[in-house]
This record gives sequence, C-alpha cells and structure tokens, in this order.
Amino acid sequence: MRAAALVVLPLLAAVLSLLVGSTSLSPAAVASELLHPHATGVLHTIVWQLRLPRVCIAATVGASLALCGAVLQGMLRNPLVDPYLTGVSAAAAAAIAIAIVAGVSAAATPGIGFVAGLGAALLVAALARRGGGIDSNRLILAGVSLSTLFAAIVTLALVRAQSNQYASTVVAWLAGSMAGRGWPELATAAPYAALGALLAFAVAAPLNALRVGELRARSVGLNVNRAQWIMLAASSLLAASSVILAGLVGFIGLIVPHIGRRIVGSDARVLLPACASIGAALCMFADAVCRRIVAPAELPIGVLLAFIGVPAFLYLYLRPASASSRDAVTKSI
Amino acid sequence: MIELRGVTLDVGGRALLHDIEARVATGEFVALLGRNGAGKTTLLRAIAGLHRLRSGEISIDGAPSAHLPALDRAKRIAFVTGDEIFLESLLVRDVVSIGRFPHHRWWQWNAAPDDDAAVDSALAAVRLEAFAQRLFSTLSAGERQRVWIALGLAQETPILLLDEPTSHLDVGVAHDILALLRRLTREGKTVVCALHDINEAACYADRIALLGDGALLALAPPDAVLTEPLLQRAYGIAFARRSALLPDSVLVARSHVGT
Repeated sequence: MRAAALVVLPLLAAVLSLLVGSTSLSPAAVASELLHPHATGVLHTIVWQLRLPRVCIAATVGASLALCGAVLQGMLRNPLVDPYLTGVSAAAAAAIAIAIVAGVSAAATPGIGFVAGLGAALLVAALARRGGGIDSNRLILAGVSLSTLFAAIVTLALVRAQSNQYASTVVAWLAGSMAGRGWPELATAAPYAALGALLAFAVAAPLNALRVGELRARSVGLNVNRAQWIMLAASSLLAASSVILAGLVGFIGLIVPHIGRRIVGSDARVLLPACASIGAALCMFADAVCRRIVAPAELPIGVLLAFIGVPAFLYLYLRPASASSRDAVTKSI
Repeated sequence: MIELRGVTLDVGGRALLHDIEARVATGEFVALLGRNGAGKTTLLRAIAGLHRLRSGEISIDGAPSAHLPALDRAKRIAFVTGDEIFLESLLVRDVVSIGRFPHHRWWQWNAAPDDDAAVDSALAAVRLEAFAQRLFSTLSAGERQRVWIALGLAQETPILLLDEPTSHLDVGVAHDILALLRRLTREGKTVVCALHDINEAACYADRIALLGDGALLALAPPDAVLTEPLLQRAYGIAFARRSALLPDSVLVARSHVGT
C-alpha cells in the first residue's frame, strides 16, 4: 500500500506538472505530444522544451535534496542537519555570485558553482578530519562557520554589483528557482546526481548500523571511517547537483527525511527510496504551483515551500504525539 | 580462545594498559574487576578490535586480531555496551537485527532466513520475545540491557565481551543477566564481562581478572583473587567478609563492619 503510494505520488505530480503552467494544456494534447517526439509546433515546444525538462529537473532536485538530507542526518545522527550544512550550497552561491558580478557567461555559472560546492565540501571534510575518520561535531562547526564566510562573500558581491540587473540575477539564484533551466543544465547535473544517489543507496546498511551509535556500529564490523567518506561524497554530489539546477531550495532536504521516517520508519533500505520519491513529488508539485500561481510570472520555489511547507510540517511534527502517530513512526519496517 | 601477549595501549600519550598477558579458554566466564579508570573498558575494547595497541598482540582462536578484517572480527567477537545513546524510534527487533550486519555485504539488502532465525533465538535467549515489536525507548534499564545483549547474541559469535552489563540494575535483574551469561558459557560461548560488584563476580565467574592502573594484578579463580592484599591493591580499601543471604558471604568495606 505504502510502496504503491510512493510510486504513484511522483507520477501524479509529474502529470500535474506537465499540464499546469502559464498556459494550461489538456491531458490529451500533452499525451499526443509526448507520443510524437519528432513533431513540431508551439505546443510541441512547450511540452518538450519547457515542461518536460522542468519536470525532470524538479524531480532530480527534489530527490537529490531529500536523499542528501537523509544521508547526512543518518551519518551525523542529528535530525537538524540539512543538505547545505557541509557548505556546498553557500560556496556554490558565493562562486556563482562572483561569476555573475564579474560578467561570466550564464552558461558557465552552473559549472563554476558545482566546482566551488565540491571544493567547499572537501575543505569542510579536511577541517572535520580526526584520526582516519570524520568527527561529527567538527563537521558541523566547520560547515556552519565556512557557510557564514561564504554568505558574507555573497553579500559583498551584491554590494559590489554594479547594476541592478546583476544583483537581481544573484538574488534569483539565492531564492531557488528552476525558471529558465532546460535539458543542457539537466544533462550537466544528472550524472553527478545519479552517482550521488548510487553512493547513497550503497550506504543504506551502514546508515542502519549507525542508528545504534558509532561504537556499536564499529563493533558489528562497520568500517565507520570509510562509510563516512562515502556518505560525505554522496551528500556533496547530491547537494551540488541540486544547487546548479535550482539554486538554493530549502525545506526539502531538512523536512522530507522526517516525513519519510514518519511514514516508513528509519530503516535506510526503505527510507532512502521513500525520501527520493517524496522529495521528487513534492518538488514537482511545488514547481507546478510556482508556475501557475502568479502566471505569467513565476514564484521562486524556495519561497513557496517555506510558506506552505513549514506550517504544514510544524503541524504534523510538533503537535502532541498520540499513541497512533508514534506507532506510525515504526510499524511499517 | 582469547590470548593477550604483552598488550600495551596508550591514548594521547597516557598509558591505559601495560604489558597484559592473559589467556581465556573457550567456554570460560571471566569477570573483569578493578576500580573506575583501571582499564576494564579499554581492555574489552582492545580485545574487540576497537582500539589500536601500541605493542603486543591479541589473538582470537590463534588468529592475530589486528590482521582480521573488521567484518570477520565481528563474526568472532560481539562487544556489548550499555552506553546510553540517542535512539530514533527503533523497535526492539530492529535494534537486535543490527547484530546481523557482519553477515551481510553492504549491497545485500534482503534479510536472509538465517537472519530472522538468529534474531528470534537471540530475543528468546534474553526472554524478550514478547518485546520484539515494542519501541526500544519504552523499555526499562534492565530490558534495554537485555536488548544490547541480544544484539551481541544475534552476531552469533563464539566470544561475548560485555562492559558492565549489570550497572544500574536491581539485584534481581542483575542476577538474571549473569545467570544468562553463565548459561551461554555452558553452551560453549566464551564470556568476558566487566563488573563493578565483586560479589557478582564471585558468584558467577570461573575466573576473575583483577586490573589495577592498567596492569593485570591477577587472573585466577575467585577464591584466589578475592584476597585482602589483592583487593587492597586494586581498590585501595580494606575488605571484610560478612555473612549474607546471597551468596552466603559477601565482601564489604571493612570500615563498615568496624573490625
């Protein structure tokens, strides 16, 4: 039942996202265009060059952020961790802001952001090293403080931006949006996102073992150091690819793992696919709403997610726990 | 069989274990005694392969432990510790299932039939069958301790190391757990167990290893170890024997009896 829902939900969101936009399309028209990939015409362009890549990008971003959050929260055994903790996004944003202000071509900025994001992850990992492994507290401290530094660089870039046009481009990046992205961006980011997802699924069993603490995980034979490096690599790839696709999209990476644990429990073998599915569905759905709600303009997805998602989450998660909701956390493993 | 030869270990330049020579036979119950900071936990962790030695060697059934891959070691030695940790909402069964980790590769996602059997029999051994679907966080201290032991049992290792499994437990539950360990040794498991209660050790252990400041002061049957000079050395206080209900005589600090 739950498994079926986790498959159907993203599909529904994808269909909705294909139909909805500044012009609403009929299901029949969309289906006909999808079945004839080599046709021409305005409708064809809308479906194949605008809607479909947007749907795929939203699914990739949502799944990546949710997986990344689930991996990092499990690795650091801290439910407050989000994908941006490791400094990936802050560094990417800083690099992109500098690139925009310096007048680098728009085509090159995602690549610059990606490299800067991974670079920051490496730097944070190097600072967090202790012995052969990664110290959770050091990782959090290094990530938070470097993120602050990168945020200051973004501010500096904004202040130095010589025209309002630069500044608004930078702000658009920071707000998180998939407007104007298409197949080329997806083609750049998807391989890294896929690699990140593969690594995330590969550490499902180690994530499960870590649920009873690092010492016990080691005593049942887990090479904790190696597992942590893989988890960090997975989360960095996932966060960096989502940043170059959509800028900074909050909420999903922090909250979806919590929703996932509520629905399927904390067994990573079930939780990770569930998070990917919920994250993708949520992001596609939110993106569709963003395109429709103030059409022909677009609402940044980060804004929408914060306005709708946060109160909904607070209601679900922080209301006084009843016995049945506690059961729901664990029953379905 | 566990063999320690010249085991020396230090952490951050501070010597924690010094030149320890010991041999524990298969099926033996050895209790590890010594005051706080004497090195009991460190010694157990060293045997479990969780600490690197500065010198010396630990071998498990003749194989040098340092050369064993982590997963192989986890198939031979289970280390049970009761340190309290933050736990997500985990069911008792989920916690115990983590003991099956060494029997899988990372990419083997499905539980094998022998996993279920091992978890079931581990739960049965600690008499927690009825608790399998309970949330770990709802258990009492004694029940939790039994879950940690079940996790170790689910590893299906010939050797079980336990770090103070009876601390914070009432006397009834403590004796329950020690009787369980005793029963396991009769089934052929080797048990090394750090304890704080000298009388518990005297009741259940085949031999007692007495640690003092990182050195092994004695490793012998209880009667030979629980002598005044040795205990005085290990704990720094004088003991006296007093008649009691269980066991028939217990050791208490001499100042309390006024002799």
